[in-house]
Amino acid sequence: MDMTLTRRAQRTIAYGFLFFILISMATPFVWMISNTFKEQYEIFQLRPTLIPEEPHLGNYIRLFAEFDFAHHFLNSAFIAVVHTVSHLFLASLAGFAFAKYAFPLKNFLFLVLLGSMMVPLYTIFIPLFVLVIRLGLVNSYAGVIIPGVAGAFGIFFMKQSMEAVPNELLDSARIDGASEFRIYWQIALPLVRPALAVLAVLAFMNSWNDFVWPLVVLRSRELQTLPVVMAGMVGMYRMEHGVIMAASLLSTLPILLLFLALQKQFVQGLTVGAIKS
Amino acid sequence: MSSASITEDRSLRAKWSRSQRKVVPYVFISPFYILFIVFSVGPLIYALYLSLHRWPGSGPMRHVGLGNYTYLAGDPVFLKSLGNTVYYAIGAFLFILPLALVLALLINSTLIRLKSIFRIGYFLPILTSTVAATLIFLLIFNNQFGLINQGLALLGIPALKWLDEELVKISVLAVATWRYTGINVLYFLTGLQSIPPDLYEAAQVDGAGTWAQFRFVTIPQLRPIALFVGVVTMIGSFHLFAEPLLLADGGPNEASLTLANYLYRMGFTNAKLGYGSAIGWVLALIIFGLSFIQLYLFGAFRKED
Repeated sequence: MDMTLTRRAQRTIAYGFLFFILISMATPFVWMISNTFKEQYEIFQLRPTLIPEEPHLGNYIRLFAEFDFAHHFLNSAFIAVVHTVSHLFLASLAGFAFAKYAFPLKNFLFLVLLGSMMVPLYTIFIPLFVLVIRLGLVNSYAGVIIPGVAGAFGIFFMKQSMEAVPNELLDSARIDGASEFRIYWQIALPLVRPALAVLAVLAFMNSWNDFVWPLVVLRSRELQTLPVVMAGMVGMYRMEHGVIMAASLLSTLPILLLFLALQKQFVQGLTVGAIKS
Repeated sequence: MSSASITEDRSLRAKWSRSQRKVVPYVFISPFYILFIVFSVGPLIYALYLSLHRWPGSGPMRHVGLGNYTYLAGDPVFLKSLGNTVYYAIGAFLFILPLALVLALLINSTLIRLKSIFRIGYFLPILTSTVAATLIFLLIFNNQFGLINQGLALLGIPALKWLDEELVKISVLAVATWRYTGINVLYFLTGLQSIPPDLYEAAQVDGAGTWAQFRFVTIPQLRPIALFVGVVTMIGSFHLFAEPLLLADGGPNEASLTLANYLYRMGFTNAKLGYGSAIGWVLALIIFGLSFIQLYLFGAFRKED
Protein backbone atom coordinates (compact mmCIF):
# COMPACT_ATOMS: atom_id res chain seq x y z
CA MET A 1 0.00 0.00 0.00
CA ASP A 2 2.68 2.38 1.09
CA MET A 3 4.84 1.42 -1.90
CA THR A 4 2.08 2.03 -4.45
CA LEU A 5 1.42 5.44 -2.98
CA THR A 6 5.04 6.47 -3.28
CA ARG A 7 5.06 5.12 -6.79
CA ARG A 8 2.04 7.23 -7.64
CA ALA A 9 3.74 10.25 -6.08
CA GLN A 10 6.90 9.51 -8.05
CA ARG A 11 4.90 9.26 -11.23
CA THR A 12 3.17 12.59 -10.57
CA ILE A 13 6.46 14.34 -9.93
CA ALA A 14 8.04 12.75 -13.01
CA TYR A 15 5.18 13.76 -15.30
CA GLY A 16 5.08 17.21 -13.75
CA PHE A 17 8.75 17.79 -14.45
CA LEU A 18 8.63 16.33 -17.96
CA PHE A 19 5.61 18.46 -18.89
CA PHE A 20 7.14 21.58 -17.33
CA ILE A 21 10.22 21.17 -19.52
CA LEU A 22 8.06 20.33 -22.53
CA ILE A 23 6.05 23.53 -22.09
CA SER A 24 9.26 25.53 -21.63
CA MET A 25 10.61 24.05 -24.85
CA ALA A 26 7.38 24.74 -26.74
CA THR A 27 6.96 28.34 -25.53
CA PRO A 28 9.53 29.93 -27.88
CA PHE A 29 7.86 28.21 -30.85
CA VAL A 30 4.40 29.34 -29.77
CA TRP A 31 5.64 32.86 -29.07
CA MET A 32 7.30 33.03 -32.48
CA ILE A 33 4.15 31.92 -34.31
CA SER A 34 1.90 34.23 -32.31
CA ASN A 35 4.11 37.26 -32.93
CA THR A 36 4.19 36.82 -36.68
CA PHE A 37 0.54 37.98 -36.69
CA LYS A 38 1.04 41.03 -34.45
CA GLU A 39 1.95 44.64 -35.03
CA GLN A 40 5.12 45.76 -33.25
CA TYR A 41 3.13 47.67 -30.60
CA GLU A 42 1.23 44.54 -29.64
CA ILE A 43 4.43 42.50 -29.39
CA PHE A 44 5.78 45.06 -26.94
CA GLN A 45 2.71 45.77 -24.87
CA LEU A 46 3.10 45.03 -21.20
CA ARG A 47 0.48 42.29 -21.08
CA PRO A 48 1.54 39.56 -23.54
CA THR A 49 -1.18 38.14 -25.79
CA LEU A 50 -1.11 34.56 -27.00
CA ILE A 51 -3.86 35.09 -29.61
CA PRO A 52 -3.21 38.40 -31.39
CA GLU A 53 -5.88 41.01 -30.57
CA GLU A 54 -5.73 42.43 -34.05
CA PRO A 55 -4.31 39.63 -36.19
CA HIS A 56 -2.85 40.80 -39.47
CA LEU A 57 -0.63 39.41 -42.22
CA GLY A 58 1.42 42.58 -42.64
CA ASN A 59 4.63 40.97 -41.40
CA TYR A 60 4.43 38.25 -44.04
CA ILE A 61 3.58 40.72 -46.77
CA ARG A 62 6.51 42.95 -45.84
CA LEU A 63 8.82 39.95 -45.59
CA PHE A 64 8.14 39.05 -49.20
CA ALA A 65 7.80 42.58 -50.57
CA GLU A 66 10.63 44.41 -48.77
CA PHE A 67 13.06 41.64 -47.86
CA ASP A 68 12.70 39.53 -51.00
CA PHE A 69 12.14 36.46 -48.88
CA ALA A 70 11.17 34.10 -51.73
CA HIS A 71 14.41 34.88 -53.54
CA HIS A 72 16.62 34.09 -50.53
CA PHE A 73 14.52 31.04 -49.74
CA LEU A 74 15.30 29.70 -53.21
CA ASN A 75 19.01 30.52 -52.74
CA SER A 76 19.05 28.43 -49.57
CA ALA A 77 17.11 25.64 -51.25
CA PHE A 78 19.43 25.58 -54.27
CA ILE A 79 22.58 25.39 -52.14
CA ALA A 80 21.09 22.76 -49.84
CA VAL A 81 19.93 20.54 -52.71
CA VAL A 82 23.23 20.73 -54.62
CA HIS A 83 25.18 20.12 -51.41
CA THR A 84 23.01 17.17 -50.44
CA VAL A 85 23.11 15.45 -53.84
CA SER A 86 26.88 15.90 -54.26
CA HIS A 87 27.56 14.85 -50.70
CA LEU A 88 25.46 11.70 -51.06
CA PHE A 89 27.24 10.79 -54.28
CA LEU A 90 30.80 11.34 -52.99
CA ALA A 91 30.14 9.79 -49.58
CA SER A 92 28.45 6.67 -50.93
CA LEU A 93 31.12 6.20 -53.61
CA ALA A 94 33.97 6.41 -51.10
CA GLY A 95 32.01 4.39 -48.53
CA PHE A 96 31.52 1.70 -51.18
CA ALA A 97 35.26 1.64 -51.90
CA PHE A 98 36.16 1.33 -48.21
CA ALA A 99 33.57 -1.39 -47.62
CA LYS A 100 34.03 -3.54 -50.69
CA TYR A 101 37.65 -3.42 -51.87
CA ALA A 102 40.94 -4.49 -50.38
CA PHE A 103 43.73 -2.13 -51.38
CA PRO A 104 47.14 -1.10 -50.06
CA LEU A 105 47.11 1.68 -47.41
CA LYS A 106 43.37 1.21 -46.84
CA ASN A 107 43.61 1.22 -43.05
CA PHE A 108 45.96 4.18 -43.01
CA LEU A 109 43.70 6.16 -45.37
CA PHE A 110 40.69 5.34 -43.22
CA LEU A 111 42.50 6.60 -40.11
CA VAL A 112 43.27 9.84 -41.95
CA LEU A 113 39.59 10.08 -42.79
CA LEU A 114 38.58 9.72 -39.15
CA GLY A 115 41.29 12.17 -38.10
CA SER A 116 40.00 14.76 -40.54
CA MET A 117 36.91 15.15 -38.35
CA MET A 118 39.15 16.60 -35.64
CA VAL A 119 40.16 19.69 -37.63
CA PRO A 120 38.36 22.61 -35.91
CA LEU A 121 36.38 24.79 -38.30
CA TYR A 122 37.50 28.12 -36.90
CA THR A 123 41.20 27.27 -37.05
CA ILE A 124 41.10 26.95 -40.84
CA PHE A 125 38.51 29.68 -41.25
CA ILE A 126 40.74 32.61 -42.21
CA PRO A 127 43.14 30.74 -44.55
CA LEU A 128 40.19 28.94 -46.14
CA PHE A 129 38.68 32.31 -46.94
CA VAL A 130 41.99 33.53 -48.44
CA LEU A 131 42.12 30.34 -50.52
CA VAL A 132 38.55 30.76 -51.74
CA ILE A 133 39.40 34.31 -52.84
CA ARG A 134 42.53 33.11 -54.68
CA LEU A 135 40.53 30.40 -56.44
CA GLY A 136 38.05 33.06 -57.55
CA LEU A 137 35.26 31.29 -55.68
CA VAL A 138 34.36 34.12 -53.34
CA ASN A 139 30.81 35.37 -53.75
CA SER A 140 29.79 32.19 -55.54
CA TYR A 141 27.76 29.13 -54.60
CA ALA A 142 30.72 26.95 -55.58
CA GLY A 143 32.70 28.68 -52.83
CA VAL A 144 29.98 27.87 -50.30
CA ILE A 145 29.46 24.27 -51.37
CA ILE A 146 32.80 22.79 -52.49
CA PRO A 147 34.97 23.01 -49.32
CA GLY A 148 32.54 20.96 -47.22
CA VAL A 149 31.02 18.68 -49.80
CA ALA A 150 32.99 15.49 -49.08
CA GLY A 151 32.54 15.28 -45.31
CA ALA A 152 34.29 12.38 -43.60
CA PHE A 153 31.30 11.59 -41.43
CA GLY A 154 29.15 10.76 -44.47
CA ILE A 155 31.81 8.38 -45.84
CA PHE A 156 32.14 6.69 -42.47
CA PHE A 157 28.37 6.35 -42.25
CA MET A 158 27.97 4.99 -45.79
CA LYS A 159 30.81 2.50 -45.30
CA GLN A 160 28.82 0.90 -42.48
CA SER A 161 25.77 0.26 -44.63
CA MET A 162 27.73 -0.66 -47.76
CA GLU A 163 29.31 -3.49 -45.76
CA ALA A 164 25.89 -5.17 -45.60
CA VAL A 165 25.64 -5.41 -49.41
CA PRO A 166 26.24 -9.11 -50.32
CA ASN A 167 29.50 -9.75 -52.18
CA GLU A 168 27.85 -12.45 -54.32
CA LEU A 169 25.68 -9.84 -56.00
CA LEU A 170 28.71 -7.74 -56.89
CA ASP A 171 30.67 -10.73 -58.13
CA SER A 172 27.90 -12.01 -60.35
CA ALA A 173 27.60 -8.55 -61.90
CA ARG A 174 31.35 -8.63 -62.54
CA ILE A 175 31.01 -11.98 -64.33
CA ASP A 176 28.36 -10.35 -66.51
CA GLY A 177 30.98 -7.75 -67.39
CA ALA A 178 29.64 -4.75 -65.50
CA SER A 179 32.16 -2.00 -64.79
CA GLU A 180 32.99 -1.27 -61.16
CA PHE A 181 31.23 2.09 -61.28
CA ARG A 182 28.15 0.43 -62.73
CA ILE A 183 28.22 -2.13 -59.93
CA TYR A 184 28.26 0.71 -57.42
CA TRP A 185 25.58 2.68 -59.21
CA GLN A 186 23.14 -0.06 -60.20
CA ILE A 187 23.59 -2.70 -57.52
CA ALA A 188 25.06 -1.25 -54.31
CA LEU A 189 23.41 2.16 -54.30
CA PRO A 190 19.77 0.98 -54.56
CA LEU A 191 20.40 -1.44 -51.69
CA VAL A 192 21.54 1.28 -49.28
CA ARG A 193 18.63 3.63 -49.98
CA PRO A 194 17.52 3.77 -46.32
CA ALA A 195 20.99 4.92 -45.25
CA LEU A 196 21.04 7.46 -48.06
CA ALA A 197 17.76 8.89 -46.79
CA VAL A 198 19.22 9.30 -43.29
CA LEU A 199 22.32 11.02 -44.64
CA ALA A 200 20.22 13.17 -46.97
CA VAL A 201 18.09 14.73 -44.23
CA LEU A 202 21.20 15.36 -42.16
CA ALA A 203 23.11 16.96 -45.05
CA PHE A 204 20.13 19.04 -46.13
CA MET A 205 19.49 20.35 -42.63
CA ASN A 206 23.15 21.18 -42.02
CA SER A 207 23.39 23.09 -45.28
CA TRP A 208 20.01 24.81 -44.86
CA ASN A 209 20.88 26.01 -41.35
CA ASP A 210 24.54 26.86 -42.03
CA PHE A 211 25.39 30.43 -41.13
CA VAL A 212 29.06 31.37 -40.68
CA TRP A 213 30.59 30.07 -43.90
CA PRO A 214 27.89 31.48 -46.24
CA LEU A 215 28.15 34.72 -44.25
CA VAL A 216 31.78 35.25 -45.25
CA VAL A 217 31.68 33.79 -48.77
CA LEU A 218 28.52 35.41 -50.13
CA ARG A 219 29.24 39.13 -50.34
CA SER A 220 26.44 40.37 -52.56
CA ARG A 221 22.95 40.45 -51.18
CA GLU A 222 21.20 38.75 -54.08
CA LEU A 223 23.22 35.56 -53.51
CA GLN A 224 22.72 35.36 -49.75
CA THR A 225 20.97 32.54 -47.92
CA LEU A 226 18.17 32.85 -45.37
CA PRO A 227 20.23 32.69 -42.16
CA VAL A 228 22.59 35.38 -43.47
CA VAL A 229 19.76 37.69 -44.50
CA MET A 230 17.92 37.08 -41.24
CA ALA A 231 21.03 37.88 -39.21
CA GLY A 232 21.27 41.12 -41.18
CA MET A 233 17.81 42.14 -39.96
CA VAL A 234 19.16 42.37 -36.40
CA GLY A 235 21.57 45.22 -36.98
CA MET A 236 18.94 47.45 -38.56
CA TYR A 237 18.08 50.83 -37.14
CA ARG A 238 14.57 49.82 -36.23
CA MET A 239 14.22 46.11 -35.69
CA GLU A 240 10.96 44.76 -37.08
CA HIS A 241 10.32 41.92 -34.66
CA GLY A 242 7.14 40.71 -36.33
CA VAL A 243 8.87 40.46 -39.69
CA ILE A 244 11.89 38.75 -38.10
CA MET A 245 9.61 36.21 -36.42
CA ALA A 246 7.82 35.53 -39.72
CA ALA A 247 11.22 34.93 -41.35
CA SER A 248 12.27 32.62 -38.51
CA LEU A 249 9.07 30.62 -38.80
CA LEU A 250 9.12 30.29 -42.59
CA SER A 251 12.81 29.41 -42.61
CA THR A 252 12.24 26.65 -40.06
CA LEU A 253 9.14 25.28 -41.76
CA PRO A 254 10.84 23.18 -44.50
CA ILE A 255 12.94 21.36 -41.93
CA LEU A 256 9.94 20.86 -39.64
CA LEU A 257 7.88 19.43 -42.51
CA LEU A 258 10.77 17.22 -43.58
CA PHE A 259 11.03 16.05 -40.00
CA LEU A 260 7.34 15.19 -39.78
CA ALA A 261 7.62 13.18 -42.99
CA LEU A 262 10.92 11.47 -42.18
CA GLN A 263 11.01 11.37 -38.39
CA LYS A 264 12.84 8.05 -38.15
CA GLN A 265 15.57 9.14 -40.57
CA PHE A 266 16.13 12.38 -38.67
CA VAL A 267 16.45 10.74 -35.29
CA GLN A 268 18.72 8.07 -36.71
CA GLY A 269 20.86 10.60 -38.57
CA LEU A 270 21.36 12.80 -35.54
CA THR A 271 22.13 9.98 -33.11
CA VAL A 272 24.18 7.77 -35.39
CA GLY A 273 27.43 9.28 -34.14
CA ALA A 274 26.52 8.28 -30.60
CA ILE A 275 25.65 4.72 -31.55
CA LYS A 276 28.81 4.23 -33.53
CA SER A 277 30.97 5.47 -30.67
CA MET B 1 31.13 -17.35 -82.28
CA SER B 2 33.14 -20.43 -81.27
CA SER B 3 33.25 -21.54 -77.67
CA ALA B 4 37.03 -20.98 -77.60
CA SER B 5 36.68 -17.28 -78.36
CA ILE B 6 34.01 -16.95 -75.68
CA THR B 7 36.38 -18.33 -73.04
CA GLU B 8 39.14 -16.10 -74.36
CA ASP B 9 36.79 -13.18 -74.20
CA ARG B 10 35.85 -14.16 -70.64
CA SER B 11 39.44 -14.40 -69.46
CA LEU B 12 40.28 -11.07 -71.06
CA ARG B 13 37.35 -9.54 -69.30
CA ALA B 14 38.37 -11.15 -66.02
CA LYS B 15 41.85 -9.72 -66.42
CA TRP B 16 40.51 -6.26 -67.21
CA SER B 17 38.12 -6.53 -64.30
CA ARG B 18 40.98 -7.49 -61.93
CA SER B 19 43.24 -4.65 -62.98
CA GLN B 20 40.31 -2.27 -62.86
CA ARG B 21 39.66 -3.38 -59.28
CA LYS B 22 43.17 -2.35 -58.26
CA VAL B 23 42.77 1.24 -59.38
CA VAL B 24 39.07 1.82 -58.92
CA PRO B 25 38.96 2.13 -55.09
CA TYR B 26 41.56 4.91 -55.20
CA VAL B 27 39.52 6.73 -57.81
CA PHE B 28 36.38 6.35 -55.71
CA ILE B 29 37.94 7.75 -52.54
CA SER B 30 40.11 10.39 -54.22
CA PRO B 31 37.55 13.25 -54.20
CA PHE B 32 37.55 13.26 -50.42
CA TYR B 33 41.34 13.26 -50.10
CA ILE B 34 41.82 15.94 -52.75
CA LEU B 35 39.24 18.19 -51.07
CA PHE B 36 40.64 17.37 -47.62
CA ILE B 37 44.18 18.32 -48.60
CA VAL B 38 43.15 21.46 -50.47
CA PHE B 39 40.47 22.74 -48.09
CA SER B 40 41.63 21.42 -44.68
CA VAL B 41 45.27 20.36 -44.47
CA GLY B 42 46.48 23.23 -46.61
CA PRO B 43 44.55 25.88 -44.66
CA LEU B 44 45.61 24.29 -41.35
CA ILE B 45 49.29 24.69 -42.27
CA TYR B 46 48.69 28.08 -43.85
CA ALA B 47 46.97 29.19 -40.64
CA LEU B 48 50.11 28.31 -38.71
CA TYR B 49 52.23 30.26 -41.22
CA LEU B 50 49.85 33.24 -41.10
CA SER B 51 49.89 33.19 -37.30
CA LEU B 52 53.62 33.97 -37.41
CA HIS B 53 53.03 37.05 -39.55
CA ARG B 54 51.33 40.37 -39.54
CA TRP B 55 49.12 40.70 -42.60
CA PRO B 56 46.09 42.89 -43.36
CA GLY B 57 44.94 40.59 -46.19
CA SER B 58 46.80 42.30 -48.99
CA GLY B 59 50.28 43.67 -49.58
CA PRO B 60 53.44 42.24 -48.00
CA MET B 61 53.43 40.03 -44.92
CA ARG B 62 55.69 40.88 -42.03
CA HIS B 63 57.26 38.03 -40.12
CA VAL B 64 56.75 38.55 -36.39
CA GLY B 65 57.79 35.14 -35.02
CA LEU B 66 55.69 34.26 -32.02
CA GLY B 67 54.75 37.91 -31.64
CA ASN B 68 51.03 37.30 -32.23
CA TYR B 69 50.99 34.61 -29.57
CA THR B 70 52.81 36.67 -26.95
CA TYR B 71 50.51 39.56 -27.73
CA LEU B 72 47.50 37.26 -27.24
CA ALA B 73 48.72 36.34 -23.76
CA GLY B 74 48.39 39.98 -22.74
CA ASP B 75 45.33 40.93 -24.79
CA PRO B 76 42.52 41.63 -22.29
CA VAL B 77 39.77 41.10 -24.91
CA PHE B 78 41.23 37.75 -25.92
CA LEU B 79 41.49 36.68 -22.28
CA LYS B 80 37.95 37.81 -21.68
CA SER B 81 36.62 35.88 -24.69
CA LEU B 82 38.58 32.82 -23.53
CA GLY B 83 37.03 33.18 -20.08
CA ASN B 84 33.54 33.56 -21.57
CA THR B 85 34.00 30.50 -23.75
CA VAL B 86 35.14 28.43 -20.77
CA TYR B 87 32.12 29.79 -18.87
CA TYR B 88 29.78 28.55 -21.62
CA ALA B 89 31.50 25.15 -21.69
CA ILE B 90 31.26 24.75 -17.91
CA GLY B 91 27.65 25.95 -18.02
CA ALA B 92 26.83 23.33 -20.64
CA PHE B 93 28.43 20.59 -18.53
CA LEU B 94 26.80 21.72 -15.29
CA PHE B 95 23.38 22.53 -16.68
CA ILE B 96 22.53 21.11 -20.11
CA LEU B 97 24.04 17.66 -19.65
CA PRO B 98 22.61 16.91 -16.16
CA LEU B 99 19.20 18.16 -17.32
CA ALA B 100 19.38 15.96 -20.40
CA LEU B 101 20.45 12.95 -18.33
CA VAL B 102 17.58 13.41 -15.84
CA LEU B 103 15.06 13.77 -18.68
CA ALA B 104 16.44 10.68 -20.41
CA LEU B 105 16.30 8.64 -17.18
CA LEU B 106 12.70 9.72 -16.58
CA ILE B 107 11.62 8.97 -20.16
CA ASN B 108 13.37 5.61 -19.96
CA SER B 109 11.82 4.67 -16.60
CA THR B 110 8.82 2.40 -16.27
CA LEU B 111 6.91 5.27 -14.62
CA ILE B 112 6.32 7.09 -17.85
CA ARG B 113 4.10 6.50 -20.83
CA LEU B 114 3.78 8.88 -23.83
CA LYS B 115 7.55 8.52 -24.16
CA SER B 116 7.63 9.59 -27.81
CA ILE B 117 5.79 12.87 -27.12
CA PHE B 118 8.60 13.94 -24.79
CA ARG B 119 11.36 12.56 -26.97
CA ILE B 120 10.08 14.36 -30.06
CA GLY B 121 9.02 17.51 -28.19
CA TYR B 122 12.46 18.03 -26.68
CA PHE B 123 14.07 17.27 -30.02
CA LEU B 124 12.25 19.91 -32.10
CA PRO B 125 14.43 22.95 -31.20
CA ILE B 126 17.55 21.39 -32.78
CA LEU B 127 15.76 21.62 -36.14
CA THR B 128 15.88 25.42 -36.08
CA SER B 129 18.95 27.23 -37.34
CA THR B 130 21.09 28.91 -34.69
CA VAL B 131 20.07 32.19 -36.33
CA ALA B 132 16.31 31.57 -36.08
CA ALA B 133 16.68 30.26 -32.52
CA THR B 134 18.65 33.29 -31.41
CA LEU B 135 16.23 35.71 -33.09
CA ILE B 136 13.33 34.16 -31.16
CA PHE B 137 15.23 34.55 -27.90
CA LEU B 138 16.26 38.08 -28.78
CA LEU B 139 12.60 38.92 -28.46
CA ILE B 140 12.06 36.77 -25.37
CA PHE B 141 15.01 38.38 -23.56
CA ASN B 142 14.32 41.97 -24.64
CA ASN B 143 15.51 44.21 -21.80
CA GLN B 144 12.17 45.99 -21.48
CA PHE B 145 9.37 44.15 -23.26
CA GLY B 146 10.60 40.59 -23.64
CA LEU B 147 8.29 37.70 -22.81
CA ILE B 148 10.22 36.93 -19.63
CA ASN B 149 10.02 40.48 -18.39
CA GLN B 150 6.33 40.62 -19.33
CA GLY B 151 5.87 37.47 -17.26
CA LEU B 152 7.80 38.96 -14.35
CA ALA B 153 5.67 42.09 -14.57
CA LEU B 154 2.51 39.99 -14.20
CA LEU B 155 4.02 38.68 -10.96
CA GLY B 156 4.88 42.21 -9.90
CA ILE B 157 8.63 41.69 -10.30
CA PRO B 158 10.55 44.54 -11.96
CA ALA B 159 12.13 43.84 -15.37
CA LEU B 160 15.61 42.32 -15.45
CA LYS B 161 18.08 43.38 -18.11
CA TRP B 162 18.78 39.98 -19.65
CA LEU B 163 21.06 41.34 -22.36
CA ASP B 164 23.17 43.55 -20.09
CA GLU B 165 26.65 42.71 -18.94
CA GLU B 166 25.59 40.84 -15.80
CA LEU B 167 23.06 38.45 -17.32
CA VAL B 168 23.96 38.16 -21.00
CA LYS B 169 26.00 34.97 -20.57
CA ILE B 170 23.03 33.33 -18.82
CA SER B 171 20.85 34.32 -21.78
CA VAL B 172 23.31 32.80 -24.25
CA LEU B 173 23.32 29.61 -22.20
CA ALA B 174 19.51 29.63 -22.19
CA VAL B 175 19.44 29.63 -26.01
CA ALA B 176 21.96 26.79 -26.03
CA THR B 177 19.93 24.87 -23.44
CA TRP B 178 16.81 25.24 -25.54
CA ARG B 179 18.52 24.07 -28.71
CA TYR B 180 20.78 21.30 -27.45
CA THR B 181 19.03 19.63 -24.48
CA GLY B 182 16.81 17.43 -26.68
CA ILE B 183 19.59 16.02 -28.81
CA ASN B 184 21.51 15.09 -25.66
CA VAL B 185 18.38 13.43 -24.26
CA LEU B 186 18.37 11.29 -27.40
CA TYR B 187 22.06 10.47 -26.99
CA PHE B 188 21.54 9.40 -23.37
CA LEU B 189 18.42 7.42 -24.31
CA THR B 190 20.45 5.57 -26.95
CA GLY B 191 22.95 4.72 -24.24
CA LEU B 192 20.31 3.69 -21.71
CA GLN B 193 18.51 1.45 -24.17
CA SER B 194 21.71 -0.36 -25.07
CA ILE B 195 22.24 -1.52 -21.46
CA PRO B 196 21.48 -5.26 -21.37
CA PRO B 197 18.40 -5.86 -19.14
CA ASP B 198 19.98 -8.96 -17.53
CA LEU B 199 22.50 -6.67 -15.82
CA TYR B 200 19.61 -5.13 -13.88
CA GLU B 201 18.12 -8.56 -13.21
CA ALA B 202 21.44 -9.79 -11.85
CA ALA B 203 21.70 -6.69 -9.65
CA GLN B 204 18.18 -7.30 -8.31
CA VAL B 205 19.06 -10.90 -7.51
CA ASP B 206 22.01 -9.54 -5.55
CA GLY B 207 19.54 -7.37 -3.62
CA ALA B 208 20.46 -4.01 -5.16
CA GLY B 209 17.86 -1.25 -4.70
CA THR B 210 17.01 1.41 -7.27
CA TRP B 211 19.87 3.65 -6.24
CA ALA B 212 22.43 0.84 -6.13
CA GLN B 213 21.31 -0.28 -9.60
CA PHE B 214 21.73 3.25 -10.88
CA ARG B 215 25.11 3.62 -9.22
CA PHE B 216 26.58 0.23 -10.15
CA VAL B 217 24.85 -0.64 -13.43
CA THR B 218 23.52 2.48 -15.18
CA ILE B 219 26.43 4.86 -14.53
CA PRO B 220 29.25 2.50 -15.56
CA GLN B 221 27.28 1.31 -18.59
CA LEU B 222 26.71 4.88 -19.75
CA ARG B 223 30.44 5.54 -19.86
CA PRO B 224 30.92 5.29 -23.66
CA ILE B 225 27.93 7.51 -24.42
CA ALA B 226 28.98 9.97 -21.73
CA LEU B 227 32.40 10.25 -23.35
CA PHE B 228 30.82 10.92 -26.74
CA VAL B 229 28.38 13.48 -25.30
CA GLY B 230 31.20 15.13 -23.33
CA VAL B 231 33.49 15.55 -26.34
CA VAL B 232 30.65 16.78 -28.59
CA THR B 233 29.48 19.28 -25.95
CA MET B 234 32.98 20.58 -25.36
CA ILE B 235 33.69 21.05 -29.06
CA GLY B 236 30.25 22.63 -29.55
CA SER B 237 30.86 25.09 -26.70
CA PHE B 238 34.12 26.20 -28.25
CA HIS B 239 32.33 26.77 -31.57
CA LEU B 240 29.57 29.04 -30.17
CA PHE B 241 29.23 31.90 -32.60
CA ALA B 242 25.77 32.99 -33.73
CA GLU B 243 24.12 33.14 -30.30
CA PRO B 244 26.36 35.80 -28.67
CA LEU B 245 26.77 37.62 -31.99
CA LEU B 246 23.05 38.08 -32.59
CA LEU B 247 21.91 38.43 -28.98
CA ALA B 248 24.35 41.18 -28.06
CA ASP B 249 27.06 41.49 -30.75
CA GLY B 250 29.48 39.87 -28.31
CA GLY B 251 28.83 42.61 -25.79
CA PRO B 252 27.96 44.55 -23.84
CA ASN B 253 31.59 45.35 -23.04
CA GLU B 254 32.64 41.97 -24.51
CA ALA B 255 30.70 40.19 -21.76
CA SER B 256 29.30 37.54 -24.13
CA LEU B 257 32.13 37.43 -26.73
CA THR B 258 33.43 33.93 -27.56
CA LEU B 259 36.78 32.91 -29.03
CA ALA B 260 35.04 32.24 -32.35
CA ASN B 261 33.47 35.73 -32.26
CA TYR B 262 36.83 37.33 -31.50
CA LEU B 263 38.56 35.35 -34.25
CA TYR B 264 35.92 36.49 -36.72
CA ARG B 265 36.20 40.09 -35.55
CA MET B 266 39.99 40.09 -35.91
CA GLY B 267 40.16 38.16 -39.18
CA PHE B 268 37.24 39.65 -41.05
CA THR B 269 36.17 42.93 -39.47
CA ASN B 270 39.61 44.26 -38.49
CA ALA B 271 41.58 42.50 -41.28
CA LYS B 272 44.24 41.20 -38.89
CA LEU B 273 44.59 37.83 -40.57
CA GLY B 274 47.76 36.80 -38.78
CA TYR B 275 46.40 37.63 -35.36
CA GLY B 276 43.09 35.90 -36.15
CA SER B 277 44.94 32.77 -37.28
CA ALA B 278 46.89 32.74 -34.02
CA ILE B 279 43.56 32.74 -32.14
CA GLY B 280 42.51 29.84 -34.38
CA TRP B 281 45.56 27.80 -33.47
CA VAL B 282 45.13 28.49 -29.75
CA LEU B 283 41.51 27.34 -30.15
CA ALA B 284 42.67 24.15 -31.90
CA LEU B 285 45.24 23.39 -29.20
CA ILE B 286 42.63 23.89 -26.46
CA ILE B 287 40.16 21.58 -28.24
CA PHE B 288 42.81 18.90 -28.85
CA GLY B 289 44.03 19.17 -25.25
CA LEU B 290 40.56 18.94 -23.73
CA SER B 291 39.57 16.04 -26.03
CA PHE B 292 42.70 14.20 -24.99
CA ILE B 293 42.01 14.82 -21.29
CA GLN B 294 38.43 13.59 -21.66
CA LEU B 295 39.53 10.46 -23.51
CA TYR B 296 42.14 9.86 -20.82
CA LEU B 297 39.73 10.39 -17.92
CA PHE B 298 37.25 8.00 -19.46
CA GLY B 299 39.95 5.42 -19.91
CA ALA B 300 39.77 5.30 -23.67
CA PHE B 301 43.53 4.68 -23.75
CA ARG B 302 43.45 1.97 -21.08
CA LYS B 303 43.81 -1.60 -22.27
CA GLU B 304 40.77 -3.77 -21.63
CA ASP B 305 41.58 -6.18 -18.84
